[in-house]
Amino acid sequence: MTRVTTTWTTHGTTSAALRALAAEGATGALSGERGVVYLSAGRVVHVESAFTPDLGTLLTRSGAVEPDGWRAAVDGGGRQHRVGRRLVDSGRLAAGALEVCHLGALFDAAYFVLAHDTRPRRFRPGAVHWLGAVRPVPVDVVVRESRRRRALLERIWPDPDIDIAPLTRAAGADPADLPRRRSRTLTQVDGVRTAADIAAALACRTYHTLVELRRLAAAGLVTAAPPAPVTAGPGPGPGAVAWDDPDTALLRRLRDALEAL
Amino acid sequence: MANLETSLKECLSSIDGASAAALVDYTSGMALGTLGGTKDFNLEVAAAGNTDVVRAKLRTMELLGLKEEIEDILITLSSQYHLIRLIKGRGGNGLFLYLVLDASRANLAMARHQLRRIENELEV
Repeated sequence: MTRVTTTWTTHGTTSAALRALAAEGATGALSGERGVVYLSAGRVVHVESAFTPDLGTLLTRSGAVEPDGWRAAVDGGGRQHRVGRRLVDSGRLAAGALEVCHLGALFDAAYFVLAHDTRPRRFRPGAVHWLGAVRPVPVDVVVRESRRRRALLERIWPDPDIDIAPLTRAAGADPADLPRRRSRTLTQVDGVRTAADIAAALACRTYHTLVELRRLAAAGLVTAAPPAPVTAGPGPGPGAVAWDDPDTALLRRLRDALEAL
Repeated sequence: MANLETSLKECLSSIDGASAAALVDYTSGMALGTLGGTKDFNLEVAAAGNTDVVRAKLRTMELLGLKEEIEDILITLSSQYHLIRLIKGRGGNGLFLYLVLDASRANLAMARHQLRRIENELEV
């Protein structure tokens, strides 16, 4: 296991902490306010965020992998952190398709973790994601891309609430008048679903969904519904309780450990 | 089964006259993988720039009310072809393969055929 010497807590932002960890070739999981970044030897191997559908959801909802096949790969390979390899070795998915889909999920989640670059919460040295390394990406690339995506979205319509709040369709907004992709997105807007729910329902990358939603917002067809009191307030303070990440990797490892008893 | 790296390598080795290839996300302009770029030919820049080409054409088709899909876009320079092939995939995954070909050595029909085959390995 890599020895971590950095006092990563001295860094005020998740991206600065990531860069410091990358510089010393760290392995482990860094939790930010909106998700967890997994590093292996200083490179990003996976990112998870509650604001984006995970790889399993994307693969199974799109029909690329049968739900049973996904579960078999997770059950069979989760403990050895080789779920990705299992999917490919068992012939369920081409290696290239897995990489493409995995990178999509990784950058989608990274946008949420890094675009609102807040103070990191904790680093668990040595933590490994159950998916296993698919295609590691340098920290700099992930940070740069997340910022670029934020800038692109801001240019379309500068309302970051669209990314996370339940969305409401404006009265009279008719999907039939729109290009296909935007129309598909608009039909999913029902006053309850968030961008992540819509992306999952359409089995579409979250960032692509965010682009369509911001365009719809710019056209006045979609608004972020008033946030419920629990999730309210982007301001400082103890907040973010409602979005506390459940650390699924830890839960899965716990489950695996219990099963192994 | 081919991974991203080998798919791009296959583009360069199996397609006559191919000198560079990239797999690009045209919603964000990010290159997911590149191969064969040189100091004089920055594939990251080409990826971002050609994203604008794809987006402009998609927007034009929207404005014209055309419901068809773009299969590929060919840009003919005096000594090169640039071929952009949109990867379909279920639900349209917003990716294209970008290929730089030497015009004097390339066989466009063969290049298209090979790209279609390689595309199948990346489709989700």
